[in-house]
Amino acid sequence: MALNFLFYRKSLIALTGLFLCVFLVVHLSANAILLLPNDIASELYNSYSHTLRENPLITVVAYVLYISIVLHAVVALLITLHNRKAKPQKYIMDKSQQNSSWYSKNMGILGTLILIFIIIHLANFWARIKLGIGEEVLLDKNGYKDVFSVTYELFQNIWFVLFYSILAIPLAFHLYHGLKSGFKTLGFYHKKGLRILAKVSLIYAIIMGVGFGIIPIVVYFK
Amino acid sequence: MKITFKIWRQKNSDSKGTLKTYDVDGLTEDMSFLEALDHLNEQLVLKNEEVIAYEYDCREGICGQCGVFINGRAHGPHDHMTTCQLHMRSFKDGDTIVVEPWRAKSFPIIKDLIVDRSAFDRIIEEGAYISSKTGTAPESNAIPIPKAKADKAMDAAACIGCGACVATCKNSSAALFTSAKINHLNSLPQGKAEEHERVEAMTWQMKEEGFGSCTFTGACEVECPEAISITNIAEMNARKLKAKLLG
Ligand code: HEM
Ligand code: SF4
Ligand code: FES
Repeated sequence: MALNFLFYRKSLIALTGLFLCVFLVVHLSANAILLLPNDIASELYNSYSHTLRENPLITVVAYVLYISIVLHAVVALLITLHNRKAKPQKYIMDKSQQNSSWYSKNMGILGTLILIFIIIHLANFWARIKLGIGEEVLLDKNGYKDVFSVTYELFQNIWFVLFYSILAIPLAFHLYHGLKSGFKTLGFYHKKGLRILAKVSLIYAIIMGVGFGIIPIVVYFK
Repeated sequence: MKITFKIWRQKNSDSKGTLKTYDVDGLTEDMSFLEALDHLNEQLVLKNEEVIAYEYDCREGICGQCGVFINGRAHGPHDHMTTCQLHMRSFKDGDTIVVEPWRAKSFPIIKDLIVDRSAFDRIIEEGAYISSKTGTAPESNAIPIPKAKADKAMDAAACIGCGACVATCKNSSAALFTSAKINHLNSLPQGKAEEHERVEAMTWQMKEEGFGSCTFTGACEVECPEAISITNIAEMNARKLKAKLLG
């Protein structure tokens, strides 16, 4: 009885989600390089990207990352469908905005927007740089793949700038609730700790939302 | 005062229900919400119409029988209050009030505003008790329990099983109810001996009954008449993990 996937699947969402939260910190820190003046940013960004690609440990972490995204999305989809079935008939009059936040009630929709973002994002970068699909990535003067230019060119297109920046908003809301919720799912119940967690989650979500949202705009206007 | 009630009428669990409109005059502000429904039913009797079915027992907020969804919220517009404690002064003359039964797959509608909450009983049966013979009441200080622990257990024990948490939860999760029952017993020495079996059996039954899983929207703790804290659910999750590792 104890080993039942359905019984523990919520923990799986929380674990993969929290891992993705850690990843986002690293990812944003690296992307912050793009805010520097172009000549410095270019060299730093390309050598950083090169170091990552050459590191076998990072290769392993990257696979954990892909698996986490897929697991998180698939299990979240299963739970969302199961939860919907648990309330087959909705209320005719619903004032649930008075007792809970809209983003906590729409994690699935926010998550789906993020998933769409992730797919396009991977097509823009990962597919081109790692898989070699699409236009070839040139080398910079140090002989590293010129990832900076790939980014720079992408963000000369206003539509991509808008897409990346606007989707940072659902990301922020998903992270705000997800971080708070994930810890509780995993059994963190210390009252004062939870109050601190709520504040930390808010700050984290704002940094992630603003950070990821602003980089494309800054690059566009550079 | 005059109120337009729109009330869910449904013959039995198999039939399709619908909202019916009733214009009710002669209500006063100091009537409780249930008294207003009684008043409406008296008029229906005089008109030879079938009365509206709703549940109640104590009418003082302790039995947990009276739950209905009023104007889009469990037990009406206030936080932490049962339907029987709600009074007509919370509404204005001429208001329209929509009354619906709890809606959840695991709480099938029996008739009108009455739902079958026996899923809760089956969760209770899985372990919300201690199996040792207790005999006559023991000397009250025989088992020392620190004040903080006793308070915590008492806070959880306050759950009256009304079902508002399930009703208001978008996932129809019974996690607040179940966690209150588990934490009540598991935080006391009398409940310790069976703590792991209790957590596993009761959370398993909760899932078997078809309740959804908790996503911490927080709606339940706002609507709970006993203000049971949602941290109880996080604590239940911790106990579940502990039971899995040590049990
Ligand atoms: C950057 C990517 C993402 C991160 C960092 C992330 C993070 C998180 C975290 C930490 C949780 C909390 C788990 C819990 O409540 O126990 C969560 C929940 C959830 N996520 Fe994500 N997530 C991401 C992408 C997605 C995607 C692509 C989906 C697609 C459907 C999704 C859907 C959900 C759902 C439905 C929940 C549970 C709802 C809830 O707890 O209220 N997430 N996420
Ligand atoms: S936890 Fe609160 S809302 Fe849920 S059944 Fe118990 S008293 Fe009612
Ligand atoms: S009738 Fe007993 S709690 Fe309302």
